[in-house]
Amino acid sequence: MDLLAIFTIVLDPKILGTILLCTLYGAFVGAMPGLTATMAVALLVPFTWFMDPVQAAAAIVATTTTAIFAGDISGALLKIPGTPASAAYVEDSFRLSQTGKPRTTLFTSLFASVCGGVIGVAILAYATPQLAQLSRSFSSDEAFWLATLGLSCAVFVGGPSVPRNFASLFIGLAVATIGIDVAVGHPRYTFGLMELYDGINFIPAMIGIFALSELLRNAALGRQAHLGKLVVEPLFSAIRDAWREFRKRWKNVIRSASGGTVIGALPGAGADVAAWIAYAVSRRFSKTPEAYGRGHVEGVVDGGAANNAAVAGAWTPALVFGIPGDSVTAIAIGVLMMKGLTPGPDIFTNDTVLVYTIFGSFFMANVLMLLTGGLVVALATQILRVPRAVLMPLILVLSMIGGYAITGSVIAIWIILALGLLASGMIWAGMPLAPAILGIVLGRIVEDNFMVSMMKSRGDLTEFFARDTAAVLGTLTLLVWAALLLRAGWSFFGNRTSSK
Amino acid sequence: MILRRDFVVGAVLIALAVAMIWGAQGFPRIRAMPYGPDLFPKIIAGGLILSALGIILEGLRNMRSGQDQDEIAQGKVTPLAAMAFLGIVALVAGFALLLPVLGFHVAAALVLLGAVRIFGGNWVLAGVMAITAPVVLHYIFYSLMRVVLPWGVLAPYAW
Repeated sequence: MDLLAIFTIVLDPKILGTILLCTLYGAFVGAMPGLTATMAVALLVPFTWFMDPVQAAAAIVATTTTAIFAGDISGALLKIPGTPASAAYVEDSFRLSQTGKPRTTLFTSLFASVCGGVIGVAILAYATPQLAQLSRSFSSDEAFWLATLGLSCAVFVGGPSVPRNFASLFIGLAVATIGIDVAVGHPRYTFGLMELYDGINFIPAMIGIFALSELLRNAALGRQAHLGKLVVEPLFSAIRDAWREFRKRWKNVIRSASGGTVIGALPGAGADVAAWIAYAVSRRFSKTPEAYGRGHVEGVVDGGAANNAAVAGAWTPALVFGIPGDSVTAIAIGVLMMKGLTPGPDIFTNDTVLVYTIFGSFFMANVLMLLTGGLVVALATQILRVPRAVLMPLILVLSMIGGYAITGSVIAIWIILALGLLASGMIWAGMPLAPAILGIVLGRIVEDNFMVSMMKSRGDLTEFFARDTAAVLGTLTLLVWAALLLRAGWSFFGNRTSSK
Repeated sequence: MILRRDFVVGAVLIALAVAMIWGAQGFPRIRAMPYGPDLFPKIIAGGLILSALGIILEGLRNMRSGQDQDEIAQGKVTPLAAMAFLGIVALVAGFALLLPVLGFHVAAALVLLGAVRIFGGNWVLAGVMAITAPVVLHYIFYSLMRVVLPWGVLAPYAW
């Protein structure tokens, strides 16, 4: 790892400027209730289209890092988490704010987030090159099993209902079948539209799933959250008190950041799952577990460190195997692929600049977040007063031009609408979106490798286990499926017995 | 009779799977290969059907144990919320249809007028947004980012 090379890249004025702007953008979007970190990235994507791959990766990393932290702001002040990653400890942060300490709480969370993010990227930078070494000799068998294992993990961590998680995955895979197939080059489910021959364009798809579905949900909710009366303490005393609080709990930060990175690395388990688990672990090991949920800062520190560490962790499978760890890395992979780069082990030898930029951007974004995140905390009460009647219509038009800018055709707007409605339907049906996103991203990879292996083996399925690594990955996948079946059976029969 | 959410979801998924299988019937095959472009869609359709059956079973279990009351409450939609939802859908569809005909400025202004009203803004705010925002967005995308946005009816006045 060449630290000097990393810093030379990220201190380039163009990259540094991008990171600074995107941390401000991420902080603003993350702070607004109803606008998630994934939505921030989806709206950013049309702009990344006009950047080089390195700058685009820096922009995505910086936006996500700050948006995940900034989700705490509306959580603390309005009790509405700005992003789902802040939901785990929203009760605590809100109650602390109500006792006249909103800024102290948010600065404590900011310090924990920055520290968590830095630990996350340190683990990412150390672990990914080692894992890449391992995966360099993979054939289509291993690639198939790896992608299938990634999808199965997404189903496993998706939500409480196994059939719904599976349905979400299959919907994503079904969307991925649209376009010309790999076996004979026949257009599938394109309804005669030439624009669909290359498949559903990824960027309008993501804008539809993450931006339009949120707008539709917000429109249906039909109300603006109000701040009410809030006592805000002086800025400097808040920073001082927050620093003291943070220093007392540095062990929590290290524990939750390490755990958060590992959880973030599991495909489908993003920053929100990391925060929930870190919060639960924190309560388990706390000397005052009874205070959790009643305005206890310990849970805020643990959750805040874990969700920002998970953001970095999610890049581990994305960089090493090309399998996204969460929705944001799914979008990032889509962006890199459209720029002709395929994430995977070879990226560590062929595109070291990109890899170094990602590591460096994470570090710089976390450092700059002290400044931009602090600024947004200081101005939080003003930011949260921006009327949604101004913000939401602008996002609606931006979403549509963003999609149009990529394809240069109104088909993008129809894709946005179709997938926005699909995502809204899935949310109504109680299905998690993450497995579907992974299905859309990995569908082609799974099918291509499956068909290549089928052709090689002339349809003999045992050949999928013939190579050692493929056998291990295949067995792991089958074990995850068995665990899923057991879980589904347990929740069905177990609940039926208990309800008698 | 209240149509329970799980049954509706299950039925929709099965319908989607049947449509996928039906569509895959027409995909061509190469004689030497026992499988072709229809294999993967059929596997996915099979998965959708199994998931749908699982969801329907869950629904039956919840109905028997009386655990579905929360779900029914969640699934209820007020007429106002439905109108707002459909309003946004109509605006997006309208934008797609009108963009090539009327051009970006007019189509975006119409969308903004409607969207500001749906999100609770008054007519004055809607008017201000409809006039200013398309010009600013056009400058960013057309002039700075070189995205070719159609001028439509404003083509004689293009700058």
